[in-house]
Amino acid sequence: MLKYLFAKEDDIPQGSAAIFFAVSSIAWFIIGTGLGSFNAAKLAFPDMFHGLYALQFGHMRQVHVHAVIFGWIAMAFAASMMYITPALGNTKLWSEKLGVWNCLLYNIGLCLALALLWSGITSGREYSDHIWPIDLYIAFIMVIPWCVNVWMTILNRRTQGIYTTNWFFAGSMLMLVIVFLIGNMPEFLHLTGLNEAYMTWWFAHNVLGLLITPVAAAITYYIVPKITGNPLYSHRVGHLHFWSIVVFYSTPAAHHLMSSPLPEWLKSFASVEGVLILVPAVAYVCNLLLTMQGRWAMFVENIEIKFTITGVLLAIPLNMQGGFQQTRAINWYIHGTGWIVAHAHLALLGFSTFAEAAAVYYGMQVLLRRKLWSASLANFHFWMLLIGFSLYWVSMTISGLIQGAAKIYEVPYVDVVIAEHPYMIVRWLGGTMVFFGNITWLYNMIMTARAGDPVPVGRQPAEVAYTR
Amino acid sequence: MGWTFNNPLFSLTTADQNKAAKDVWEGESLGGIAENNNPLPRPVIGLLLLTFATAIALTFPLYGQRPNAAIYLDYVSLMNSTMVQEVMNDRQITHHEANSKAMALIEDSLVHFESPYTFQREQHPIDLDQLRVIAPKIIELQRAGADLEQYSVIGPEVVKANFFNIQADGTVIAKQPWWDKGYEISFWYFIGFCLAVIITVKRLPHFSWRPDHSIAH
Repeated sequence: MLKYLFAKEDDIPQGSAAIFFAVSSIAWFIIGTGLGSFNAAKLAFPDMFHGLYALQFGHMRQVHVHAVIFGWIAMAFAASMMYITPALGNTKLWSEKLGVWNCLLYNIGLCLALALLWSGITSGREYSDHIWPIDLYIAFIMVIPWCVNVWMTILNRRTQGIYTTNWFFAGSMLMLVIVFLIGNMPEFLHLTGLNEAYMTWWFAHNVLGLLITPVAAAITYYIVPKITGNPLYSHRVGHLHFWSIVVFYSTPAAHHLMSSPLPEWLKSFASVEGVLILVPAVAYVCNLLLTMQGRWAMFVENIEIKFTITGVLLAIPLNMQGGFQQTRAINWYIHGTGWIVAHAHLALLGFSTFAEAAAVYYGMQVLLRRKLWSASLANFHFWMLLIGFSLYWVSMTISGLIQGAAKIYEVPYVDVVIAEHPYMIVRWLGGTMVFFGNITWLYNMIMTARAGDPVPVGRQPAEVAYTR
Repeated sequence: MGWTFNNPLFSLTTADQNKAAKDVWEGESLGGIAENNNPLPRPVIGLLLLTFATAIALTFPLYGQRPNAAIYLDYVSLMNSTMVQEVMNDRQITHHEANSKAMALIEDSLVHFESPYTFQREQHPIDLDQLRVIAPKIIELQRAGADLEQYSVIGPEVVKANFFNIQADGTVIAKQPWWDKGYEISFWYFIGFCLAVIITVKRLPHFSWRPDHSIAH
């Protein structure tokens, strides 16, 4: 990477920025899930590392969350955008040099941000935990250069039309900048009380709903038609998906605070919009699954399609939960329980991660022009991820239902802790499986770069995946 | 941007612009990807409407809004009646039994009176211990001449409700209309969204046209 920092733009091979982002994202995924596994172990065995201040759950939780969101998810998005956006515009990335610098400064900034979180220097607001100097660094050094590269690539495209994936990329990045700068206002302006709570959850809601899920969906819009060779089922349904995300999912932040003294009309409105997330969800899932017509064998045979379609299928329970869990009656029961933790992992470790993993697998093979070093290891990674995630999700959902029942029936807290213990162990096991799966993934990708068989010119990696 | 309104449910775009759109659609390769021109599947349109109906039904305010203080006023009056006080102060039975018996007396008495609050009372049942806590606050508000419907009962507190129902003369009433303001916005929002989507998709070439992907690929 270092040799490209001061190289001329034309001397930097196309796809360099995407590859650097992709490798960084896998490394951060290992770090993030490793921290997650450690945190889960603390919940399963609370006496572990007892007395070590820096390893307490309260310090480590934010580091896990931000390592995964900013490290794995966002960098995998950046990697995807930096090769998919130019590919869809029949052009090259606007500036590989900007991309390489972006990747370097992104990694440095993230290390700094996580070190501060770890040492306990935080804003104290969930999901917007960083202090304001780090917020400014994230906005102006990490995110805006990335946005500029994506937007300028789309503006400089050599096609007249813009494919659905690029609508989502450009739109989500625009919304991210707005959401990030406004959502961190409580930190800049020292807001307190209900205003602070609302702004905090406005940010948290929108960073998930307007960045992570739409961009993950955008990736699948590219991967499925590209690898199957089928045209996207419907351009119109793509419109329905995109605009319903923009219209319905930018408004329901108050549904995170249904028990707060926010105005009732705002909570009613937010709750209705929250259920309407099913509109883009139905549009999206049916569009992708109908695009698979005649190619369902690839769900078994092809590793990228296997990841992508699993992600698409996980979007179904994700949105069913998301739509209904924020209605007043259901929220009363599950608010503040492990159910919500399970739901957040269904979005980030389920739907989104499976889509991004597919994009990183595919992108690295295409950009390196090498086929996967080991299809078996990739399958092993898939199953470790799927089984590990499923164990996590199911155990946390059950544990959340127990906590909800205990909350309503006023069961003593210590009894709830005892009842939850087995589920906390399963949660730890599931998270640890994901962690070990990711280590094999990094090894597989390093070996792919070093020793993968070259993909012949004019062929797709998927076409030669099973040839020797 | 050629518009035509002759047959809006078929197309909002002029023939020459439709032709240009079809040429682009078939003639350019978006990174090797093509798109079909299928309509919104009818089940999806059905699901869209069902989702909206479900959203409204599930979040209907009667199933989640806080109780207002007015619905408990009769409970408070009856709790302070001699008959109920005797039961509440009966030392022969346990506190829990006294509570249950006194509340049964109150509820039996309430059945005999017509009240606009019957439904809300069923939605927000209360036990005698909580009634004891909120009763002095309700009595105090009543003596001050407050409109109890503008006060919410939140746990042990009776506080001014956070509704902002602005009247034609500019005064603000902290009382929720039965249909809730959040719904009015949702209806307009949904109608606006549907109109925008209909306009967007009707500007595209009609869905009966099937693009030929062999031209660019």
